[in-house]
Amino acid sequence: MKLNSFYLLAGVVGLAEVGIFWMSVVQENPFLIMVAFIAGVLILYAARRTISDRREDERSILIAQKAGARTLEVFWILFFAVNLGVAVIAFSKPLGFRPPPPFPREFPPEGPHLGYFGILQMILLCGMAFLYIGFRVYYARKYGEWDEDEE
Amino acid sequence: MHDLTQEALAQELGVTRQTILAIEKGKYDPSISLAFRIARRFGVTIEDVFTYEEGS
Repeated sequence: MKLNSFYLLAGVVGLAEVGIFWMSVVQENPFLIMVAFIAGVLILYAARRTISDRREDERSILIAQKAGARTLEVFWILFFAVNLGVAVIAFSKPLGFRPPPPFPREFPPEGPHLGYFGILQMILLCGMAFLYIGFRVYYARKYGEWDEDEE
Repeated sequence: MHDLTQEALAQELGVTRQTILAIEKGKYDPSISLAFRIARRFGVTIEDVFTYEEGS
C-alpha cells in the first residue's frame, strides 16, 4: 500500500468512527463506539505495516520516541491531577450503592454526569495530541529533519 | 572523492537522506551499528569517520 492510500484509508476510518459515535449516542450504546474504535485502530495498524514507500530509520524512530516520552512526562501529571479531582467528587457523594431496606423515600441528588468526565478526557487527549505534534516538530528540527545542503 | 550522493549512500545503508545529512552536520549521532556500516562502506575504521568529543 502506498503512503497516500494509507492516509486516505485513515480519513475514511475517521469519518466512519464519527458516524458510529453518533449512532452509538442515538442508541445509547457505548459499547458500539468502543468496539468500533478499537477495530478502527487495529485496521490502521494492520494497514500501516503494509506501506511500501514509507522511509523510517533509527533517527525518525528516535524522534518519535523522544516526542512520546516528553508528552507522557507532561501529561501523566495532568491526567493524574484531573482524575484525582474527579475521584474526590465521586467519593464526596454517595457511591450509588443501594442502601439496605427500608429504602429512603428520596434518592440522593445526582452527581456530575459521568459523560462530562469523558468529554474532559477527550479534551485532554486532544491537548496531548497537539503537544505530541509540538514535541515532534521540536525534535525533528533538532535532528535536522528539514535541513538542506548544497547537494 | 567516492562519487556518491547522499541519497545513494542512504539507500545502501537503509536510512533516509536526512539522516546522512544530519550526521554530516553533526546534528545526529548514529548508533554503533550504523557507524560500523558507514565505516565498512568506505573501507575505513570508525575512528577515521567519527571522533568522540567529551560532553557532546
